[in-house]
Amino acid sequence: MRGVSARDIVMKDRLVSAAGRTRSAVLAVAVLAAGGLALGASSAFAQASSEAVAPQATEAPPPVVDAVAADESQTAYDPLEGFNRGSYGLSMGLDHAVLRPVAHGYLAVTPAPVRRRVSSVVYNLGEPSTTLNDILQGHPKRAGRSSARFLINSTIGVLGLWDVASKMNLPAHDADFGQTFGRYGVKPGPYLYVPVIGPSSFREGVGRVLDFFTDPVGIVGGGYTTTFGATRLVTQTVDTRARADTAFRALDDATDPYATARSAFGQYREAFVREATGKAQVLPDFDDIPTDPAAVSSAPAPASPDTSPKTAPAQSAPQ
Amino acid sequence: MTTDTTMTTPEPTMSNARPTRRFAQLALVALVGLGALSQARPALAQSARDPQAEQFVQTRAQKVISVLADKKQSVAQKKATFHQAIDELADVQKITNFVLGKYARTITPDQRARFSAAFRTYAEGVYQNRIDDYHGEVLKVTGSVVRKPGDVIVNTTISGGQVGQPLPVSWRVMGGGTSWKVVDVQFRGVWLAITQQQDFVSTIDNAGGNIDVLISQLQRDAQRPAARK
Repeated sequence: MRGVSARDIVMKDRLVSAAGRTRSAVLAVAVLAAGGLALGASSAFAQASSEAVAPQATEAPPPVVDAVAADESQTAYDPLEGFNRGSYGLSMGLDHAVLRPVAHGYLAVTPAPVRRRVSSVVYNLGEPSTTLNDILQGHPKRAGRSSARFLINSTIGVLGLWDVASKMNLPAHDADFGQTFGRYGVKPGPYLYVPVIGPSSFREGVGRVLDFFTDPVGIVGGGYTTTFGATRLVTQTVDTRARADTAFRALDDATDPYATARSAFGQYREAFVREATGKAQVLPDFDDIPTDPAAVSSAPAPASPDTSPKTAPAQSAPQ
Repeated sequence: MTTDTTMTTPEPTMSNARPTRRFAQLALVALVGLGALSQARPALAQSARDPQAEQFVQTRAQKVISVLADKKQSVAQKKATFHQAIDELADVQKITNFVLGKYARTITPDQRARFSAAFRTYAEGVYQNRIDDYHGEVLKVTGSVVRKPGDVIVNTTISGGQVGQPLPVSWRVMGGGTSWKVVDVQFRGVWLAITQQQDFVSTIDNAGGNIDVLISQLQRDAQRPAARK
């Protein structure tokens, strides 16, 4: 599965060199692909390697919205399913043709420790954006932590190659505009599978556009038209796709990969928002589904919003 | 660079550069301090822990992981040991029922029997591969949350092997006393049984409510993961 072929490497080189030539049409596609993958894959395919992205227990933020609300992820709201399924098919086709071979080539030619360094650098460049959202969410301590991480890892950690801050008791956490919206009670809205870019929702989609335009490193680095910006983009794309590889393979095992990706994305994003709100998750009650087919009434139908009210809210933010 | 300037023009730069540098140092220290401070605060008080549920997960989940990490066993041996370890770890019947979602109400006894067998084979193949993919070796319980009596979430991390950083995994266990069983596993926010339920329900929905379509697809897919490796 991970065997490298000459073609894979050629394709990888081609992608890299194409993006190096700034302002080319190829770059435009790469921007889309990377922007999407960078956020989409890392979030939707929550099972990617945990390097630097592991959710951490957080300080208790003051809840802005009700202590407990229905978990959006358990009731997939997908009125655009027809469009989304088409978009999903198209995107997966493109993935098989381009990104997967590139990622597999990358996985084959680089040892894991090298890939970890690459992930570290990419992750470090995202810290300022995390800080910005920490501030917007009213989490000064988290903002302090992410900016301290950025300073330490950029200097002592040699441009982010090593995550020394983690060892100084400054563990990583993520924040983006989708989470910021969620923190203030914005619901995800309809699920949206954006062609090439990947799983999203109305809330996450708007969030991602804002992430793109407010990213401090992107602004300082001159956007995606500079050599730095383009290199960062391509590296980020390949890194993210490679880290999400096991998740992509998990999708292959699903009987309905589209529904599985939608469910995983929704759950991952809601868990991510709960990190910022400190809300407890509402879980389905396993005992509520009758083993006896005759006992019909009280079972929670997964696709209907009126889930059992009996569920006890007790789980705090994921550790 | 700074030493250079101070050497050539001592007086003015001394007074200018020093405070700037001092400020930068101070800012760095302040930021680091701020970061450390955020860590000093103890983790959010969790309502209550359940040591017995924690002990159960520590023992049984560790066993499942150890089986797959064991390089001495053959693939066939691993498969058999894994099957047995799953029986000890998970409430297979409850999960089988749960993943059917609303169709758990309408399934016929005959279909249920066929589904149970197909799901078991499918799930074991899939999860054996998936756990293999992560090469974790050591499971460590980090805490637990009692949702209500007999319904506990046990938080763990899995590390070792090829896992870069400890991977947080949560286990939802049900039972009481010394008798517990896992009903769901959470991995970076995603609950596996909930995801499986949405996968299966969507498949049956798209087959016009025909559960047999799912059953035959599972029987087909069960052959695939083994061939994948």
